[in-house]
Amino acid sequence: MFCEKAMEMIRELHRMSDGQLPAFNEDGLRQVLQEMEALYEQNQADVNEAKSFGRSDLIPSIKLRHCCLLRNQRCITAYLYDRLLRIRALRWEYGSVLPANVRFHMSAEEVQWFGQYKKSLASFMRSLGEGEGLDITQDIKPPKSLYIQVRCLKDHGEFEIEDGTVILLKKNSQHFLPRWKCEQLIRQGVLEHVVS
Amino acid sequence: MSTQSYFPVPPGVGMEENFLSLDDILLSHERLPVRTECSFPRLGFLERSSDAHDIPEGTKMELPLWLSKGLYERKRKVLSVDLPKVYKEGWRTVFTADPCVVDLHKMGPYYYGLGSQILHFDSPENSDIAQALLQTFIGRFRRTMDSSQNAYNEDTSALVERLDSLEKALFRSGQNGLNSFQSWEKGQASQLTASSLVLNYRKRKLADVQT
Amino acid sequence: MDPSEVEFLAEKELVKIIPNFSLDKIFLIGGDLGPFNPGLSVDVPLWLALNLKQRQKCRILPPDWMDVEKLEEMRALERKEDAFTPVPSLYYMEITKLLLNHASDNIPKADEIRTLVKDIWDTRIAKLRLSADSFINQQEAHAQLDNLTLMEINTTREFLLDSLNFMFKLRSNLQPGSSKGQLTDY
Repeated sequence: MFCEKAMEMIRELHRMSDGQLPAFNEDGLRQVLQEMEALYEQNQADVNEAKSFGRSDLIPSIKLRHCCLLRNQRCITAYLYDRLLRIRALRWEYGSVLPANVRFHMSAEEVQWFGQYKKSLASFMRSLGEGEGLDITQDIKPPKSLYIQVRCLKDHGEFEIEDGTVILLKKNSQHFLPRWKCEQLIRQGVLEHVVS
Repeated sequence: MSTQSYFPVPPGVGMEENFLSLDDILLSHERLPVRTECSFPRLGFLERSSDAHDIPEGTKMELPLWLSKGLYERKRKVLSVDLPKVYKEGWRTVFTADPCVVDLHKMGPYYYGLGSQILHFDSPENSDIAQALLQTFIGRFRRTMDSSQNAYNEDTSALVERLDSLEKALFRSGQNGLNSFQSWEKGQASQLTASSLVLNYRKRKLADVQT
Repeated sequence: MDPSEVEFLAEKELVKIIPNFSLDKIFLIGGDLGPFNPGLSVDVPLWLALNLKQRQKCRILPPDWMDVEKLEEMRALERKEDAFTPVPSLYYMEITKLLLNHASDNIPKADEIRTLVKDIWDTRIAKLRLSADSFINQQEAHAQLDNLTLMEINTTREFLLDSLNFMFKLRSNLQPGSSKGQLTDY
């Protein structure tokens, strides 16, 4: 049957329902486009024949191939769009710098798109609060206090806090730090929020 | 509870599909029994059981929903669509008698979704099918709700296994509400947590290293 | 909504405290607070009360309704009535949790109060589920949610809205020709 490859790509994304980004399936995409080209060419030939020789009996087959063309188009559009939704989510989960193993799964165009999304989000956040700027990726939950107790889950090296002091984030060490400084590191699993 | 920032395109549910929804694309890949009402020249290879050049008129075969919808026309029939057996009268009676005992996952898993889509093909039984879908949902609602609300410490996997894909989605929204309330009660709601996405990535990376 | 956001809203509710310090009136965007005089009770938002309490700057006076006898009456009434009975505060659950966790030494019979409030909550949630079921069963078009609190609605909102949407779609299927235009999805 036609459109099997396109379905395979959709299933591949659907299996990772938590929003992880699988490797960009460049080979699959190429195969679908090839199938579409073949369908289109076959239809062109049949349309010409139907016109020139009055072969109206070819029309049902032309229609069937046309449906397959549109189906492939839908699958690919949905594939690319769903990946963009996942890539957008990465900005909120990881922050503006993605780890290499995640970036590795993106196509060149997706890397470019991520860069542009990052930029428009940043310029929107800068425009807030009468030029002061506001980081809307912080304080997703109402903060209870300005400082929180955190424990290091792994060695992360030196870390500068707002007053200029540098502290060493060493595995299993505990610190009392400004909440807004740690939120991203907690999300990334470097620090753990300790609630008494 | 960790915040989740990936929101996939939701399924359309009912007669209209959502063009970009992965769920709807999978649903529309479900196969329907059809009979060709004309011949399809040069496409014989699509039918596995024959090696003829054409698909002749009167061939019984299975086509995915999306293709059946695309080819179906009321005026000039090239295709007639038969009802899958779960929507036929025999099964409809079973469903309405006691909707709770049916394993909709095995029967579906897109029992409601596919059932709604089938209404596109003018069958004389359409209104009975639509009625059966609604009554089945209503009849099973209490169980779906109770299991999603009470299930926190009990094993409901056997029950959840028998839910249709849309009921499963409902079950998950019920569990979300319950879990986030219970974690608030335990005082965990204000705790900042690692992103589940990040953690899952790490798990996968580890699995890759081990294999 | 996340329950922590509902709790955040609850923290704006006023409670009475007895401070052990003096401070002139302070002017904030959300309203004026104080003045504070040692031994004299004053109304402050819950968030400030808890903050002062944690720094041992005050004693919190529990709200009137946070009383074993009154809560027992409420529980009896809640169990007797089919409908939701009026609650003493729209944030009774959040206030109870916050005060009992951070200021239980200022609240007489704290453990009993915790159990009573939890009982009331459980009774109301069971009612909510029962009415959701009959709502779906009878295919009602609207429901009265009098006396329900935000936290209560919040635990079931997502589930209930999804269910109602779903039922609406299945009901629209009954109208023949409701969406019979061109079949455009492939």
